[in-house]
Amino acid sequence: MKDMKTFYTGLVALIVLGLIVVPFSVNVERSYLIYFLFMAFIYVVIAQGWNVVGGYAGQISLGQHAFFGLGAYTTAMFWVHGLLGTGADYYFNPLLMILSGIVPAIVAIIVGIPLLSRLRGDYFALGSLGLGEIIRVFFVKGGDITGAQDGLHLPSGGYESMLPYYFVGLLLAVLATVGVYFIMRSRIGMAFRAINEDEVSASSHGINILYYKILAFAVGAFFTGVAGSLYGIYIFHVNPDSVLNINYGLYPILMCVLGGSATIFGPVIGSFFMAGVFVIAEQHFPMIHPIISGALIVLVMRFMPTGIVGLKSRLQRD
Amino acid sequence: MIAYLSFELIVQLVVNGILYGTIYGIAAIGLSLIFGTMRIIFLAQGTMIILFTYFGYWLLELAGIDPFVSLLIVVPLSMIIGVLLYRSLFKESAEMDDKNASLLLAVGIMFLVNNLMLVMWSANPRMANTAYTEVVFSPMGITIPFTRLIALGLAILSAGLLTLFLKKTYLGMAVRAASENMLYATLVGINPHRVNTVAFAIGIGLAGVAGIGVLQIVPFDPFFGFTFALKALIALALGGIGSVFGALMGGILLGLLESLGSFFVGGGWAEAVAFGAFLLVLMFRPEGLFVRSVKKA
Repeated sequence: MKDMKTFYTGLVALIVLGLIVVPFSVNVERSYLIYFLFMAFIYVVIAQGWNVVGGYAGQISLGQHAFFGLGAYTTAMFWVHGLLGTGADYYFNPLLMILSGIVPAIVAIIVGIPLLSRLRGDYFALGSLGLGEIIRVFFVKGGDITGAQDGLHLPSGGYESMLPYYFVGLLLAVLATVGVYFIMRSRIGMAFRAINEDEVSASSHGINILYYKILAFAVGAFFTGVAGSLYGIYIFHVNPDSVLNINYGLYPILMCVLGGSATIFGPVIGSFFMAGVFVIAEQHFPMIHPIISGALIVLVMRFMPTGIVGLKSRLQRD
Repeated sequence: MIAYLSFELIVQLVVNGILYGTIYGIAAIGLSLIFGTMRIIFLAQGTMIILFTYFGYWLLELAGIDPFVSLLIVVPLSMIIGVLLYRSLFKESAEMDDKNASLLLAVGIMFLVNNLMLVMWSANPRMANTAYTEVVFSPMGITIPFTRLIALGLAILSAGLLTLFLKKTYLGMAVRAASENMLYATLVGINPHRVNTVAFAIGIGLAGVAGIGVLQIVPFDPFFGFTFALKALIALALGGIGSVFGALMGGILLGLLESLGSFFVGGGWAEAVAFGAFLLVLMFRPEGLFVRSVKKA
């Protein structure tokens, strides 16, 4: 057991080290590989966010795109309206990125109290889907503050290289994964798991169900919001279609389930796999790439509904 | 805005809401059957509806078959597609406790069909034109398009037929029993696969009916499907899961909310009103507004 742990830690360190070296061996500005990895990092962060709330705590949220959009919009609104003061540097401002996670987390707490106290299971899934759409309407109808349908254009003058995107993405992906690892080893993580297993039993053991459900929802929203902020800085044009797209609510579920939800590395595997599929399909079959992605989702869910990690245990059992 | 307000206008808004809402209602009945028996949130329902709208469109454009005659082709075809969907894709995942797989299957189908339609028919909005598309009745200064009236008739007819099937036939009763409690239904000898197949056949069959209904009412494009699925979900929540009448009424209520909402609070906000009502109903009356007894939480 101890050996396995050392092995895994070593393996992870090696992979991260490899990812640090990658940009120095390819043409960063033109390489598809860098773009692929950058998107994969963003997916890892949102997938880990869903993993906490949907995978470990078992609250299937279909509204994560609202938090992704909120994160991107927080960054964009602070930047465009100069809310951090005129002299501030907004480009990759760590304070701003953290703030872009805190805002969705606060929203998650505010809406989580009524939603999570009253809705269970499928009904929470439906409710979170409704929530995502309501938030979308607010941004579409937000007038000058949110730029309405056209959204907000960020000053792109600061762009010099893809490198900072790559490394910030890598850092966030590692932090999210390590964060989930430590959360799940703590008392909080055990409470999440207990709620997922059996709410009544968890409650009878003195776990405050609502408190932990909201905490899981808020942690998921925080991760997703920070990823949204990074994506917003990358695309420089934050609008409802780009960041409040339902895809950002569905992709994390897909990646978690594909890799194996409620595991530490499942979402990472799922994210890299799907990012690879998206990038390859985009590059080679530009016309029909969503068809391929859709067909792939159907095939994977049909033949390995418990994901890649689940496949291993299924094979062992058979 | 209030200056324009007149009695006729209010009546017109209400009529529009009801006529449009019945289409949501049929879509919601299909969802209700699938959700009731298998606890699957079939997000692809709206996309299937638009797919059948395009089928109807093709039959009209290529073979000159009147949309309402093409129901005879589209509905059986959609039921077969429903059976195939269940047999080939949902059979295993319907049995699992974890509903992620079936939800994602629906999402995958949505992506796949949506983009297939995009490639085949492009993103240009289309609308069917027949000799009677422009026919309008105007009793007492209220405008009622003939096509919408037929859609209303179709909705009521299919809801009625479905109710008869569920109440009077053996198979229908089995479906109802299974939506009440699948485990007990299985214990008294009901074959879950058969019930699920029937639910899927009827659910997608109703998507066929709704698809033909949409054909002459609004301009449609492939992306319309997802919005439609969301609307059907709202209608379902408003009306209550597991009740044909409730789902139909939920659709009509949603139609009214949208029609009156877009007049009083403006186009985009009406959507927020509809989703707000959806959340409130989910929270405070999860059994729906039109179901008298509380059977399920």
